[in-house]
Amino acid sequence: MKIAFTSTGDGWDAKVDPRFGRTDYFLIYDDATEAFTLVDNTEIRSVEHGAGPKSAEKIFELAPDVLITGNGPGGNAASILTKMKMKIYVGAGGMSIREAYNAFKNNELQKGV
Amino acid sequence: MKEIVCISGKGGTGKSSVVAALSWIAKDEILVADCDVDAADLHLIFAPEPEKSEEFYSGIKAEIDPSRCIACGICAAKCRFDAIHPVGNVYQVKPLDCEGCGYCFHVCPQNAISLPEQMVGHCFTSNTRFGCKLVHAKLKIGADNSGKLVAKVKNEAKQLAAALEKEYILVDGSPGIGCPVISSLSGANLALLVTEPSLSAQSDLERLWKLIQKFQIPAACIINKADINPNISHEIKKWLKKEGIRMLAELPYDEDFQAAIVNGNSVLEYNYTKWQPVFEKIWQALKETK
Repeated sequence: MKIAFTSTGDGWDAKVDPRFGRTDYFLIYDDATEAFTLVDNTEIRSVEHGAGPKSAEKIFELAPDVLITGNGPGGNAASILTKMKMKIYVGAGGMSIREAYNAFKNNELQKGV
Repeated sequence: MKEIVCISGKGGTGKSSVVAALSWIAKDEILVADCDVDAADLHLIFAPEPEKSEEFYSGIKAEIDPSRCIACGICAAKCRFDAIHPVGNVYQVKPLDCEGCGYCFHVCPQNAISLPEQMVGHCFTSNTRFGCKLVHAKLKIGADNSGKLVAKVKNEAKQLAAALEKEYILVDGSPGIGCPVISSLSGANLALLVTEPSLSAQSDLERLWKLIQKFQIPAACIINKADINPNISHEIKKWLKKEGIRMLAELPYDEDFQAAIVNGNSVLEYNYTKWQPVFEKIWQALKETK
């Protein structure tokens, strides 16, 4: 299973960015291979409007099985993610990736959208 | 670190007056970010002295290189905004009319048109007479606020608050529910809603709450000028209860607020004995709200 985190950096000790649309990175963890893939999203800093849908497009391309974030996507991003039938979990803002992963595994994260 | 965003939906409910009053109470614990960049006004009360200033670039506008223009007029014919006109023997773009759509750029047979990013204003980090730092921005005339600029102001504020070990960031948001408001809510821990008993404020508050719920952010509410329409105040209170939004305070209509602004002061400086207990109570309640 591929899990995407909105993230401030790479590895288990990076923090979950509470923002979806304006997250600097998506960190993908594949629990079959136990490997991380860091996807740079910093280009979003130069996007004036519509950051949410842009980041949702990126998630569409990356096609993870689960998305873990903080505040949860806004309306426009959510409509794209819902059509993809993406499984979204929220409330992980500020946690480390390790804490968020464990919270997800223990069913402690709230379902988003 | 906790990020508290003060928003209202409708403009003119007293959001910035509340932020100024709370800032005076909490000046040792907070860093303030003015994200109402379109109509920034906290600087009128904080008297900021910038210690850092950065140019801010956003959006594009067309520019015609006169040395390559052959005055064919295709760009002017295609422009939907009537922004391109002949001047002498070349064509020129009127910057205030250009919307940056890029149509002219694509149709110019001479590749004489470029779309440079525009310097639209400055982002500042300032010391204030309150003692707390203020991160704010100033846009040039006619320039647009955007989610991008709000995200920049908030990022600066976050980094600085972490470096200074401040526990709270108090964000003055903009009216409405559009892109800048979404950006100011993104990543926040608590929304402080400042409303007033008018039909438009009530309707905007409900629309704002729909937006806030998408981000699963808890909210608390102040009804300002509550006595100007007790019936609507009552309706709003009923609605807050139904939605599970914590009611923090009802403030009366009071000309102290106006007088304080005219003097460039927070309402606490204008009449400390009257307003200190009111805003102290609100600040303590805000700190407890999860």
